Amino acid sequence: MKYMIMMFSGVGDSMAGRSPEWISGLHALMLGLDAELRESGELVDSRKLADPTRAKTVRFVDSKAAPTDGPYAEIKESLAGYWIIDATEERALEIAAKCVDYIEFPMEVRPVMDEQPPES
Amino acid sequence: MSESDDPIEALLRELAPQVLVTLVRQHRQLDACEDATQEALVAAVTQWPKDGVPKQPRAWLLTVARRSLIDQWRSDSARRQREGRAADAEPSRGPSDIDEQPPDRDDTLALLFMCCHPDLSRSAQVALTLRAVGGLTTREIAAAYFVPEATMAKRITRAKQAIVQSGARFDPPPADEIAGRLDVVLSVLYLIFNEGYTASAGPDLHRVDLTSEAIRLTRLVRRLMPSDGEVAGLLALMLLTDARRPARTDRDGSLVPLEDQDRSRWDAGAIQEGLALLTDTLGRFPVGQYQLQAAIAAVHDEAVTADATDWPQILALYDTLERVAPSPMVTLSRAVALANVRGPRAGLALLGTLDRDDSAVRTHRLDAVRGHLLERAGDMTQAREAYLRAARATQSLPEQRYLQLRASRLSLDRHES
Repeated sequence: MKYMIMMFSGVGDSMAGRSPEWISGLHALMLGLDAELRESGELVDSRKLADPTRAKTVRFVDSKAAPTDGPYAEIKESLAGYWIIDATEERALEIAAKCVDYIEFPMEVRPVMDEQPPES
Repeated sequence: MSESDDPIEALLRELAPQVLVTLVRQHRQLDACEDATQEALVAAVTQWPKDGVPKQPRAWLLTVARRSLIDQWRSDSARRQREGRAADAEPSRGPSDIDEQPPDRDDTLALLFMCCHPDLSRSAQVALTLRAVGGLTTREIAAAYFVPEATMAKRITRAKQAIVQSGARFDPPPADEIAGRLDVVLSVLYLIFNEGYTASAGPDLHRVDLTSEAIRLTRLVRRLMPSDGEVAGLLALMLLTDARRPARTDRDGSLVPLEDQDRSRWDAGAIQEGLALLTDTLGRFPVGQYQLQAAIAAVHDEAVTADATDWPQILALYDTLERVAPSPMVTLSRAVALANVRGPRAGLALLGTLDRDDSAVRTHRLDAVRGHLLERAGDMTQAREAYLRAARATQSLPEQRYLQLRASRLSLDRHES
């Protein structure tokens, strides 16, 4: 089963007030988890997104699509990055917990839909 | 400098463009010849490690590629079928003689000019050059650019179709177009180098494959065009820049700025080669942007410590570069040199002139440089804001980490004082 572990932009906001040691610790934690998931063969994909101030949202305005600056959601709730891992839900929650213990900011774990029809 | 560890892989990379050039010279159709060459490479990769490298590897590859070409034609339309038989029934020139002659320099250059045809998009030029001239497989190119293999395969197919549609011919460009066409080739090579060197969208700061591929291809162009100053300049620039690679990141992969790098870790061999090339080139040919950039890199590389850097010399070179090839990026670098010669405020004043320039404002580098200069001028509050703006705008993770750290150090200093 594949799970997506999502991190949100609120983490970036809280970064501004942190000490250099805290920021270095976060980088070490992220790099360590990346390496662990890659080496264990669990990692399917992982991406970090650019800051939400770089986002544009395409809205349906006056009967046509129109791009506007900024993310659709509150910046705090905007997706900042994700891992997709092929593992159990328990393992996905364990990875998320390791991060949340450090960043003190919520993360979301959700199953990825299957491309295959269910076997009957 | 070995650009591939596996000897078979290295041999195939060298032979692939030669095989392709020989086929294209005889049959003209780049797309079909390219597919056939790739099939021959795949066959070699599976058979050579088991059976050993054949005595005449180029002839072996050509035989397999021709067989594949003819298969393609036979399964194609009737018109193509006739051409295939015509090609098949042309043994008069003694294929083994031709096959053992490496294609001459004009053929390889013609192939390179074709791949960097001005009608193609940049990403198509890059992908085609790496595959046709560089001999890389689609899988390797896809991995280097972090895109799925199927995506890269499509991109290459589209590029080949675009070449057919543009009517580009497998002939060297006319003499009066060579200079302009060479500019495109060099910028494609430099783009490949920079993509590897800065890894703008990846988790690692360096993708060794693309940097060394760019250097290998530029060496090839240099062999083919030994009397062009800008080709030599670009090769020197790549060598002198890549020499700092070992010191550019620390153990946990974070970016180390030039002034803080452990210079004993720089690659002395690459610096020597770059300096010798540059010394041999400067003054003998018309000066150009790559020679100037290489000269600037050389001044940095020759400084034993950051403090020993000859900044007045670098500033003079940037002044010339700004006249030869003006761009916001050059002005940005000149501001750094100016700050080192006449103080951070002078550099900041020059940066101010870039605020009106749209292309410069869009890059995070303006804010990153501003942060450094403000920090040196003692304006910690503004410096911190500039670093944070740059951190929000960059698309490079290592650079974002570096900028966040830089900003957080300043806020800490402020609390302590």
